[in-house]
Amino acid sequence: MRPFVYERPTSVSAAIAMASDPDAVRVPPTGASTQFIAGGTNLADYMKLGVARPERLLDLNTLAEPALRQIRIDDDTIRFGALVRMGEAADNNDVRRRCPVLADSLKFAASGQLRNMASLGGNVLQRTRCEYFREISWPCNKRDPGSGCAAMEGSNRQHAVLGTSDACIATYHGDFAQALVALDATVDVEGPRGRRTLAFAKLHKRPGETPDIETDLAADELITAIEVPLARWSTRSRYLKIRDRESYAFALASAAVALDMDGETVRSARIALGGVATVPWRAREAEDALQGKVLDEAAAQAAAEAAFADARPREHNAFKIPLGKRTLVRALLETRDLKG
Amino acid sequence: MSDAKMSSGLSRRMFMTASVSAAAVMPLVNSPTRAAQPAPAKPGEPRDLSAVSMRINKQTYNLALDNRTSLLDALRDHVGLTGTKKGCDHGQCGACTVLIDGKRVLSCLSFAVMNQGREITTVEGLASTGGDLHPVQQAFIDHDAFQCGYCTPGQIMSAIGCINEGHAGSEDDIREYMSGNLCRCAAYPNIVAAIVQARDEIRRA
Amino acid sequence: MNQAAPTPKENQGDPVVRIDARLKVTGQADYPADIVTANVAYGALATSSIARGKVSELHTRDARAVPGVLDIVSYGDMDKTDKPKFGNTGASSIGPLHDKTVFHDGQIVALVVAETFEAAEEAAMLIRADYENERPSASFDSKGVKMEPAAGKSPMFKEDAKAGDFDAAWADATVKIDEKYSTPTQHHNPIELFSTTAIWQGDQLTIHEPSQNVTGWKVELARQLKLDPANVRIVSPYIGGAFGSKGPMTARTAIVAVAARRIGRPVRCVVNRMQAFGTQTYRAETRHRIRMGARKDGRITAFGHEAWEVTSRPDPYVVGGTSATARMYDYGSVLTHVSLVHADRNTPGYMRSPPETPYVYALENAMDEMAVALGMDPVEFRRINEPEKEPIGGKPFSSRSLIKCYDQASDAFGWSKRDPRIGSMRDGDWLVGMGCATAIYPTAAAPCAARVRLTADGEVRVQCGSHEIGTGIRTIAGQMAAERLGVGMDKVSVEMGDSALPPAPVSGGSISTASVCSAVMKACDAIREKLFAAAAGRGAPLAGSGNAKLDLKDEEVVTETGKSAKLADVFKAMQVGALEEYAEFAPKGSSPEALGKLYAGQSEFHGGENDEDSVKYAFGAEFVEVRINSYTREIRVPRIVGAFAAGRIMNTRTARSQLMGGMIWGIGQALHEATETDQRYARYVNRDLQDYLVPVNADIKQVDVILVPEIDHQVNPAGVKGLGELGNVGTAAAVASAVYHATGKRIRDLPIRIDDLID
Repeated sequence: MRPFVYERPTSVSAAIAMASDPDAVRVPPTGASTQFIAGGTNLADYMKLGVARPERLLDLNTLAEPALRQIRIDDDTIRFGALVRMGEAADNNDVRRRCPVLADSLKFAASGQLRNMASLGGNVLQRTRCEYFREISWPCNKRDPGSGCAAMEGSNRQHAVLGTSDACIATYHGDFAQALVALDATVDVEGPRGRRTLAFAKLHKRPGETPDIETDLAADELITAIEVPLARWSTRSRYLKIRDRESYAFALASAAVALDMDGETVRSARIALGGVATVPWRAREAEDALQGKVLDEAAAQAAAEAAFADARPREHNAFKIPLGKRTLVRALLETRDLKG
Repeated sequence: MSDAKMSSGLSRRMFMTASVSAAAVMPLVNSPTRAAQPAPAKPGEPRDLSAVSMRINKQTYNLALDNRTSLLDALRDHVGLTGTKKGCDHGQCGACTVLIDGKRVLSCLSFAVMNQGREITTVEGLASTGGDLHPVQQAFIDHDAFQCGYCTPGQIMSAIGCINEGHAGSEDDIREYMSGNLCRCAAYPNIVAAIVQARDEIRRA
Repeated sequence: MNQAAPTPKENQGDPVVRIDARLKVTGQADYPADIVTANVAYGALATSSIARGKVSELHTRDARAVPGVLDIVSYGDMDKTDKPKFGNTGASSIGPLHDKTVFHDGQIVALVVAETFEAAEEAAMLIRADYENERPSASFDSKGVKMEPAAGKSPMFKEDAKAGDFDAAWADATVKIDEKYSTPTQHHNPIELFSTTAIWQGDQLTIHEPSQNVTGWKVELARQLKLDPANVRIVSPYIGGAFGSKGPMTARTAIVAVAARRIGRPVRCVVNRMQAFGTQTYRAETRHRIRMGARKDGRITAFGHEAWEVTSRPDPYVVGGTSATARMYDYGSVLTHVSLVHADRNTPGYMRSPPETPYVYALENAMDEMAVALGMDPVEFRRINEPEKEPIGGKPFSSRSLIKCYDQASDAFGWSKRDPRIGSMRDGDWLVGMGCATAIYPTAAAPCAARVRLTADGEVRVQCGSHEIGTGIRTIAGQMAAERLGVGMDKVSVEMGDSALPPAPVSGGSISTASVCSAVMKACDAIREKLFAAAAGRGAPLAGSGNAKLDLKDEEVVTETGKSAKLADVFKAMQVGALEEYAEFAPKGSSPEALGKLYAGQSEFHGGENDEDSVKYAFGAEFVEVRINSYTREIRVPRIVGAFAAGRIMNTRTARSQLMGGMIWGIGQALHEATETDQRYARYVNRDLQDYLVPVNADIKQVDVILVPEIDHQVNPAGVKGLGELGNVGTAAAVASAVYHATGKRIRDLPIRIDDLID
């Protein structure tokens, strides 16, 4: 690991000021010389591996603003401060009651220890776990733009089938983000150019030709809160995560589903897919396919087909297409059977 | 663009010279040569040691540490508490689990400097000064919840966290919430039995 | 009593609590990297990123410039040492710094030594190599591999087993199976990281390193460093899991020792998890073709087992599990052949049941397929083919309780409730399948020495250079001494894991309990004789007891007639304070040099199929239930039952834990474990515990271990068969059988994953 300067800003504005420099708007945050750290579970790992090489770390845990550590729930929103820990949000009874998909996407992620460390703001920004990205001696367009992609023709069982490009097929491995993107969440961002609220769906960028640019954030911008609107579908929601082992593993396929039902008919559906895509993946085609339909196995199957119509497999990950479809079918039927 | 083309464009030359470390292809902001030269210690240089004060097992430690030093290495190499183990150093095994302010975390992924003023509990801090074992420790003995013993301190700290969090209600809960602690000897059923015993004992107390 | 402490049955010892349990739960057990060492410097490895070629230039300037870097050991710096040797004690003949040739991915190119761990790591990542790169051969299907018959290439595998006229029997068989199976590359991944700490005091070198073979390493390291073995000491009191990975010494040990000598300070090098994949050994991938012919009544008439194993370019590492599969059942005729495939890989090494895990997987899968082909219950099919004598040499089994194991395990499992029709046992959205398989492991022992001391106040100290890798050997060695010397376990201390102690064989091949306990027993018996002679002598406390049999109990010498004398009084009569005996045990059939070789660090194994009088194996039967989601096809194992017979059980607690751990290993091998190799570059890809999956707590629910009583006086004086490696043999085949039962899909290539079951 390269040596770094460590500093403890005491407020959001101070943190932003410290991170702000002329380069900050031009360099993707992951490549910036100054980086924020909260839980550190992703960043410390990547610093040890030489993937992340910041010269300066700004510790967000010393920020004074209480709202950063609070979960606020009112009639129509849940608002998570960015420094709320995954475990805290997963264990919050009101979050679970009002919107089970949020709680489950957190509960089935990582481990108890990691959930106690990782902040929600950091969690949604976690970087891919692609082994070719992690090991710096491999070529990787995401880590080292223009060097090539070793995964494309390599061991790519874990890799994405949706949202891929010719430059990158790395999977976005997070779980919480699938729930957020399904539920039309927004993120509050603060930076030297002011505050803005961003649709969660706009936060992550598909790899395209620049897989090193992973988010819409600038290096000196900070997520301060995540807000999830509550609606008729929130309580009838579920996160299904399929993996090789029962726990403590990344999803091979996952589905975040929330349903607004009128009897047996779908009024509207919110669907996101994990483990199969390069970014948190909203499956709007599947949602459209379900709208106004009686949710039976055939309808679920049709929605799943729509969700994966554009899937592009590689040598070892073709199984993710049938698995992804079946995961969605199962998640839809299980969500339908929940009490609304 | 065809994928096959992209992959062969993986650049033979680049791959061949690829090296033990890609660091070589990344510009270093601090030239190592310059850094090697003796320079007056200025505050805020990356290689300066940072002062960190922590309470570890109810004792205060004032340490001067490299910012890169993990809490795990600080405990083992600087404080001399080697009960906490390094199994992967990347948050993948749970052997380094300690309690920070009562919550179980992975000390390998926590930079020690980030723990200024925190209360750290390691396996060495569990038994009473009189030598009585913590109920979790005793239960691990009773149920043979280890073989080689290497993951055991992490398992025990994690079990205490798991019980404190209220995640030890059922055996299925224990299995799920203890899954962040790998045991390669695979004492899992015994670990679950031990936690059930300790949980009940702690509840009674 | 609880599940962890089964009530002993006939010929089974008490479930004594581990002698080191308190140390292990309080963090006081010192593993080799825990040893506090003054003025220690930290080492970090730099390793190759290609698998075949030559290092044309190594760039170390940037690394040397990192503040705190003390030294870099690389090419040329090991020239005054001898290259490692491949064999029982050496993992590979590759001397990575003796030669700029790159034989495999992740080969050591340099060791950086620095004042701090952080500086060493930083500098190691700055070392850059230029390579003359050649196209590597990754595995079986790669161009450029070299294949050769395995027989005779290694002392571990002398010949291909055969019996009868296979070709004729195969031609005549009414029902035939001809299938191919494969097992993947696997890495041991003990949770303890590999490490070496080297400390010089003048010419004396002490190495703290987790080791399953301290005496062997002492001798081999001395040879490499051209030292008198008397000046080398290997210390390894606690080992954080081994499973074979810490059996052979790797090239790193000498490199760290050289670094420590150069800088005149102790050096500790803890190898990171990723680098362990290339610098340590592993279980190589295997392929199998099994041909099995049978009559309609279920009798097997022909068994053919061909197998292929991967090894490195220079070393003929072979496991050759046909020696066990060829002796498993009453086959009629047997034909086997093992081939070695040399590829650009690091040299493989022993991993828990090295031959049996892959080979028995293939055999037992074929057995299940044949049972299906015959329309026969798989347990019944095995019963029908139970042999009187082993089919290759015609020798009897010293004992064989396989059918008893099947009976007890199938009862406990509820096998009779299984509906044999494919896919017939469904529970809601979950397909249920049940399967079974046989476990077998050869029973061997090797020469071993031990020293035992008994003092007048009843304190016992046992010293033996064996290794506590988690098996409980320290406990059962103490238990043996406590039992023979009539004291409580609280009076016993046991020292192990130090080459300064009486030598013991490598802790591998499940030989330790038999070898160590036999030596400890011998030393104790010598003490007993002295005590008894003194106690019954003229003027002694039990004078006049005549020929009455004496024993030691509760710190007293006791007679059959109920008379007793306190230990302290007997010692007083002898006018001594302590009795100490040094004993050497050599198994039956040992060569005249066997004990000499023990001190030279070589373990001469006896038993298994190699003895004249009989073949010696431990057996077991395993039953598993799998559940497979009908939508998403994830495979879970909620229940597994194993019954095992392994002669005398020293301690039902540690025995159960060993077998339970083994069965869970088997589940991991069936469903999780596989090292992925990038076939283009012969490089391991999933080099960490994030993507090299082993079972976690949530994967394991009900595990039942049945210890079937068995008495075998032939195996060794202690009557013990090893069981540390028995539990994970057969498990994967039982899982495959259950998956077939649930889904109708026969998966022949491990691991069995969602990919195989979904469409």
